[in-house]
Amino acid sequence: MGRNRWNLPDLGFGIGLRTVHYSYILANHPPIDWFEILSENYMDTGGRPLYVLDQVAERYPVVLHGVSMSVGSTDPLNLDYLKKLKVLADRTRAHWVSDHLCWTGVSGINVHDLLPMPYTDESLRYTIERVKAVSEILERPLVLENPSTYLEFGTSTWSEVDFLSTLAQEADCGILLDVNNVYVSCFNHGLDPEAFIDRVPADRVVQYHLAGHTHKGTHILDTHSDHVIDEVWSLYRRSCQRTGGVATLLEWDENIPSFEVVHAEALKARRHRGLPETDHTRAYGT
Amino acid sequence: MAPDLGNTQKWMQAVILHPGSDHQAVASPRARKLVPASEFPSLIRPSRTLDSFDRIGIYRGMYLARLQEALEADYPGLRHFLGPKRFSDLVRGYVDRYPSQSYTLNRLGDHLPKFIQSSPGIARKDFLYELARFELLMSRLFDAEESPVLTPEAIAAVPPECWETARLEPVAALSVQALRYPVGAYLEAVRQGKPRPSTRRKKHWAVVYRRQYALRWLDLSPAAYRLLHALVNGVPLGEALSGVLRRGRQPVGEVQLFSWFRGWVTEGLFQAVELDDPA
Repeated sequence: MGRNRWNLPDLGFGIGLRTVHYSYILANHPPIDWFEILSENYMDTGGRPLYVLDQVAERYPVVLHGVSMSVGSTDPLNLDYLKKLKVLADRTRAHWVSDHLCWTGVSGINVHDLLPMPYTDESLRYTIERVKAVSEILERPLVLENPSTYLEFGTSTWSEVDFLSTLAQEADCGILLDVNNVYVSCFNHGLDPEAFIDRVPADRVVQYHLAGHTHKGTHILDTHSDHVIDEVWSLYRRSCQRTGGVATLLEWDENIPSFEVVHAEALKARRHRGLPETDHTRAYGT
Repeated sequence: MAPDLGNTQKWMQAVILHPGSDHQAVASPRARKLVPASEFPSLIRPSRTLDSFDRIGIYRGMYLARLQEALEADYPGLRHFLGPKRFSDLVRGYVDRYPSQSYTLNRLGDHLPKFIQSSPGIARKDFLYELARFELLMSRLFDAEESPVLTPEAIAAVPPECWETARLEPVAALSVQALRYPVGAYLEAVRQGKPRPSTRRKKHWAVVYRRQYALRWLDLSPAAYRLLHALVNGVPLGEALSGVLRRGRQPVGEVQLFSWFRGWVTEGLFQAVELDDPA
């Protein structure tokens, strides 16, 4: 148990900044601990999104979270993208920058999905060098999230958790542990999610993600469309016992309810971490 | 022999992008060149509940759904006019021809007007092309840089003798448009959930702009269009005015010109007055 390797702060309990909540946030300045920003939504705009982001970053701690770095792709790194990402991180004074352990396209095409890596020695060596290069360009450690996956490669010789853990150690990057994704991927692949949680190096975990999902019977889709289920809360508690608790973020991206509902869901994490209630958790009745 | 990382990725992408069924995608020449179809079941492990085709099929389904959702957000008018089935068919053809090459989905629809214009067999092509072009313009103006707005004080500070050669600099989020179809009215009706207005050919003129981060447009008369078009293209005020006074079929009075100009300034269409260097 203890702080992460870079002493990055525990920002508390935040939610993802979403367009449908812009007006509410600007009008009410709700007492939320922090916001996570989807980087790509703010990199090429001079319009309202950037205006809102500036207002939010002025008042709240911010973390950047991307979906298009494609750190595992065999295409060259997109230096234009990384430069813009760094500018945005500096502009918002982001505490850290995260993306996913995945690839999103190859041969110049972007599929706009978090595609799974084959967990091989070759992939590991390759990704370690890529993560090091990105961290150097961004001038800060990169934080990588375990994605939800729907297939496994027969060529894999590593488990996902050991691949991620070794990558984090060797490339000196942080881990954004998405607890819902652990549950989703382990269900889809018939693996034990508790064993996954127990093998993650605690000192590398700088952030948690929590979300709801869609159970299709034969598999689970990571839709961020609902409340967090009990099994995921249980995994979260289990991991917090190992990490001591780090910045926690609730994602809700489909059928997004009111700000209060999303914030209340995020604040449930306080109770699961064994922290005392606040005025707001009492008000929301979480 | 097992494919390396690069070939695994090229193979998976080829399968995801293939427009046919899951089986056709895996058996396509491009995919088979990278991974023989016989090796597919060992490359993608089946799960307790899904076979290898089902598992890659999840990614294939999500690919099209995600891109369609993004294009629906950028082209609500097009989606409304075509209906779900025809719009979905349009998206399939479009992303096959123009797969995303950007890190942001905001650029996915950049080629859609061109695609509509160049595709055979599209009914009401001229209208749809102009509607798509107009919606793309709205997206670009939405993301354009924010500009300062010309103030009454800045206007008052211009010496009267300088107006003749002064140039007006428009804000970045502005475009003057000559249109063949009433696409603005159509979009407005879609946005407000009103009945579909006429889509018959009807020339009109408009300025589309952003004010306080909201997109707007003003309809223009032909003479007002000519004047504003000249001004935003850097023509000095005196020359732009005499052009309007000279070319119009109906005379435009000074009162009318003043009224237009005052309206445009009030709406924040300009950010600065550029004066000739006295030297």
